[in-house]
Amino acid sequence: MKNVSELTDFYYKNLFPTLEELEIQRKNLRYRIIIVGIIYTFIFMLILSGIPTASQGSGDFFAFALFAYIGLGGVLYKFLTKDYTDEFKIKVIKPLISAIDEKLNYSSSMHVPQKTFERSELFTATVDRLSGNDHVKGYIDGTKLEFSDLHAQKRHRNSKGKESWSTIFKGLFIVAEFNKNFIGKTVVLPDTAQSTFGDLIGGWLQSKNMGRNELVKMDDNEFEKEFVVYSTNQIEARYILSHSLMQRLLTFAKKSKHPVYISFIGDSIHMAIYYDKDLFEPSIFHSLLKYKIAMEYVSTLHLAIGIVDELKLNQKIWSKR
Amino acid sequence: MPTSLIVLIVIAVILVLMYNSLVSKKNQVENIFASVDTVLKKRYDLIPNLVASVGKYMEHEKSLLEKVTKLRSEANKPHISDEQKIKLGAQVSSALGSIMIAVENYPDLKANENVMHLQYSLNEIEEQISAARRAYNQAVTDYNNAIEMIPTNFMARAINYSKKAVFAIVESERKNVNVKELFN
Repeated sequence: MKNVSELTDFYYKNLFPTLEELEIQRKNLRYRIIIVGIIYTFIFMLILSGIPTASQGSGDFFAFALFAYIGLGGVLYKFLTKDYTDEFKIKVIKPLISAIDEKLNYSSSMHVPQKTFERSELFTATVDRLSGNDHVKGYIDGTKLEFSDLHAQKRHRNSKGKESWSTIFKGLFIVAEFNKNFIGKTVVLPDTAQSTFGDLIGGWLQSKNMGRNELVKMDDNEFEKEFVVYSTNQIEARYILSHSLMQRLLTFAKKSKHPVYISFIGDSIHMAIYYDKDLFEPSIFHSLLKYKIAMEYVSTLHLAIGIVDELKLNQKIWSKR
Repeated sequence: MPTSLIVLIVIAVILVLMYNSLVSKKNQVENIFASVDTVLKKRYDLIPNLVASVGKYMEHEKSLLEKVTKLRSEANKPHISDEQKIKLGAQVSSALGSIMIAVENYPDLKANENVMHLQYSLNEIEEQISAARRAYNQAVTDYNNAIEMIPTNFMARAINYSKKAVFAIVESERKNVNVKELFN
């Protein structure tokens, strides 16, 4: 597998002609968005001022107007950027993935299925709406791997029956075949209780966490500080989380720079990395040739595809074949 | 209700909770030890098969093989204490380790499918033993903490619970498995 600097080279050398072409499109698009944005705001204000002042008095009206303005604007923005986004994905993201491994399949519109997300048990809230894109699937070194952007949401209704949505998870969701056999369920979550309340109270809170299995205290201080482990089986959790895997997961979490949720269920390892934004989307207000922008695509892809190597999932020294 | 009665009830509830938590910690230790025992047995079951497959080739390591067989028969004796089980387990670990290193000197043996399969199984069982041992140590630590810490230490003294020993972790277990060493 290519490393990050080789991929960056690939981005700037092989993709350069395409990027230049896209750059022209991007600048035109940016101009168009600004113009349309101004006209849209102007028309909106015009309509708003046309409505009799008597009905404008209440706060509810303003909230509704703002909501409509943002909602409509969002639709308009999506419509304007659609062609550019599609082209970017086909011409930049797809070749980047092929450069990492030719046999990986990429689809810009699909995502990891809802049942896989639910199976992971990483988030206990019921998923009412799941969307996502940029689905990558295939084998790395004989190990099955799949990942995509995901956005899971929950529906709320207040006493008046008004609907609202809250985010359960937004970020990168990775599923890979695990190299050891196990039957139980083990979930590793970022440790918020222990880092906020300290060892004693935090530890007590963790053990009282409803809706999760038994708390497993791990014998690696650094790991224990970053994560909290729940499992159906004390021994199996430690069989999966060997000293070396704990170290590798720590390294991975540090590298990702975002909260990482991990679970071992079925025959797979599930990882949810909370970015709180849609990944692999083309930049519109910054140049695609900017190093920071390029690195975001390259390092995120490398992180996701690299887990097989990073966590040594291809190391089949156990009886699981 | 008189205040003294309420105070009495509260004290009784606290005592019951303390007692129950101690008992559950003791049972957790025993449960996990049973699992340690199960995986150790699983490994003992592999030994005859291993000795039979490598015995023909390993002329120079006869004494090593005999040692493992002897340790196995000792471990299979009825009524051995938990401490002895732990001690025998550690001895078997080191003896099996030496055999696996010796296998490296026999190219025929290394390529043998049966031996390779045994190697995989042994690796897995070693990992399971290590996991069980770590779980046991954590359970014992929780139990020992409860016995020594206020206020459960008074209760522990009253019902005569004493500290338990943890497994000594072999230094080599802390290191990563080196696949190159295993297969090259």
